[in-house]
Amino acid sequence: MAKTYDAIVVGSGISGGWAAKELCERGLNTLVLEAGRPINPETDYVEHVPVWQMKFRGMGDHKARMATQPIQQQCYACDEMAYKFFVNDLENPYTTPEGKPFSWIRGRQVGGRSIMWGRQVYRWSDLDFEANAKEGIGVDWPIRYADIAPWYDHVEEFVGITGQAEGLSQLPDGKFLPAMQLNCAEQVVKDGMAKHFGRERILTIGRAAVLTQDHRGRSACHYCGPCHRGCITRSYFSSVNATLPAARETGRLTLRPWSVVHSVIYDAKTGKATGVRVIDGQTKHALEFKGRIVFLCASTLESARILLNSGIANSSGQLGKNVMDHIMGGGANGKIDAPADRIDFGNRPNGIYVPRFRNVTTKSKDFVRGYGFQGGGGRGDWGRGSDMMGFGADFKKELRKPGPWGFGFYGFGEMLPRPENFCEIDKTKVDAWGIPALKISCAYGENEKALLKDMSVTAAEMLAAVGAHEIEPFTSDNPPGLVIHEMGTARMGRDPKTSVLNGNNQCWDVKNVFVTDGACMASTACQNPSITYMALTARAAAFAVEAMKRREL
Amino acid sequence: MNRREALLALGGAAILADPLFAAGRSLHARIANGAALKVLDPHQNDTVVTVAEMIIPATDTPGATAAKVNEFVDLALGEWFDDKERKGFLDGLAEVDARSRKRFGKDFTGCAAEQQAEMLQLLDAEVAGNRDADKQGLHREPSPSQRFFGNMKRVTLLAYFTSEVGQTEELHNPIIPGRYDGCVLLEQRGK
Repeated sequence: MAKTYDAIVVGSGISGGWAAKELCERGLNTLVLEAGRPINPETDYVEHVPVWQMKFRGMGDHKARMATQPIQQQCYACDEMAYKFFVNDLENPYTTPEGKPFSWIRGRQVGGRSIMWGRQVYRWSDLDFEANAKEGIGVDWPIRYADIAPWYDHVEEFVGITGQAEGLSQLPDGKFLPAMQLNCAEQVVKDGMAKHFGRERILTIGRAAVLTQDHRGRSACHYCGPCHRGCITRSYFSSVNATLPAARETGRLTLRPWSVVHSVIYDAKTGKATGVRVIDGQTKHALEFKGRIVFLCASTLESARILLNSGIANSSGQLGKNVMDHIMGGGANGKIDAPADRIDFGNRPNGIYVPRFRNVTTKSKDFVRGYGFQGGGGRGDWGRGSDMMGFGADFKKELRKPGPWGFGFYGFGEMLPRPENFCEIDKTKVDAWGIPALKISCAYGENEKALLKDMSVTAAEMLAAVGAHEIEPFTSDNPPGLVIHEMGTARMGRDPKTSVLNGNNQCWDVKNVFVTDGACMASTACQNPSITYMALTARAAAFAVEAMKRREL
Repeated sequence: MNRREALLALGGAAILADPLFAAGRSLHARIANGAALKVLDPHQNDTVVTVAEMIIPATDTPGATAAKVNEFVDLALGEWFDDKERKGFLDGLAEVDARSRKRFGKDFTGCAAEQQAEMLQLLDAEVAGNRDADKQGLHREPSPSQRFFGNMKRVTLLAYFTSEVGQTEELHNPIIPGRYDGCVLLEQRGK
């Protein structure tokens, strides 16, 4: 007889790592199935390789990337060293309709995308959880800030978040480690904004899952810069650096890499899942694993794909629907009069943040919801020499010095849930393991486009207000998916007729299957979503364990 | 493992910034023969080496030759540029010689240093003129030699400043700064 695990967790990324830690610590023998390869930090992390040892000096082998990773290479982090943390697009196909590009950026390895993630951490507020209900869009979230706040506390205390408390209702403060410093230009912009916009629009240092002091056995950041290539000192949070070691510590974790989950095994007699079907990533043999509960943490689109391939959890007809991402790329750049005799030192893995100010206390006539700005300041480097006249000794001496201070705002806006944005199984295509692939049909709508336009207007307005010059507003045209904040394919709700999951991330139709990654989101807010996935995962794990104790699962 | 131990375990990346150590290596690099080139023929290579060293000469720090900029140009031509970009670069290189012969009666590498400087000033001004025209929305198609010089300058800067001498001796960029200071005097940077 095959062993029956107390819990099976599908995926070892940011959500799966949390599911593993919480379930193991609460006493469950837990099997974590990861589709990709194992990761050994000592040999796989590459953050300290000097640029001169890279064959293409950091520009990447773009011919090789275009051959096997034409989609993945669109992501800034898929660079000369970190491309190995992104999937091979030829092995992992999906389809999109003509004229609706969608960039699905994926990492299949232990740790998933938590290895290359952007590390920005912002709590949601009731402005976000109440929006659908107030505006009659999508379905109402079954939870409010009060339900998730203790779980934000719980995960943040473990993760270690650097940030500055600001006391804003739309962006609740967390449990912060010391904030990183602003640089000279950012301080000028912050002061100027305070003068012109008061508390309506503020600039704060980014809130990031990076340690500014030693924390729970992990070391403070040493400011080398390229976090997306790994971190041998475990200074930024990832599953590999933090949650999986904690799960392993309990003695109850079984981690199986190279385990591509095909589907959930469902017993129609009991109405419950009994385990999962797996294709071994290396041998391609079919395997089965048995578990009392299943946590799907495979990512928004992969978890939907697994459920669709299982033929379960879709009595609402909402499974795969309401695919969302954020919309990014409206903003402005400018030059700042900051001290010419000063500069910043070290590679700060963090930027600035301007919390949402649209539709917070005032109402915009052109759109609902809002956006936040990320970005930052800095001085130009030698790269400016390509567009300068001159050559020779004086030219070289000039480029040794830093250039003028610049500053940029880059907006991230909310996307609304719409049933016409969906994913489904493409019956004509399978991946390298014979598993039916997804067809993704998703496009931005009028509200998102209006947000994007407004970003460039307000960014330029703020730069003008703080005395910047050479201000250049911009709006860039990014396909959905590329923000890598995809959400919504198995939304939580209050009604089994219109949602896939209840308020505890539990499938309405299959009580012992939980989905706690981005699939569960009923709206996107405009904040980076990972910390919310973490909090919801920890909350759902606690619920599941209590329900098992009550013999309800 | 505490932070200090962790940094020690990194394999000594930080000591690469030692300037004496680096100077020894770059001297060695100047003496050693270059690697076999895959695209540039000897004459093309001589021209590339000369132009690169004129853009970033050896001063109080080593220059483009010591940083083996020509080897990176050869690599970019062979493995990074597409066929059209490579042909454009090499055609431009040939046109520099053609213009040089017309003006001074010799190939670029055969010219005196002042003549070479005059030729580069001419190209630099032409490239700047094209750039200004572009900014005003009046695109001018660059000639092959102008296109070559624009690309050559870009690649020379990349290859030099990302080389070991560029990073360690010219820019003093530590791989592991160890801290972040938001706003320090330039001369205190890294101290």
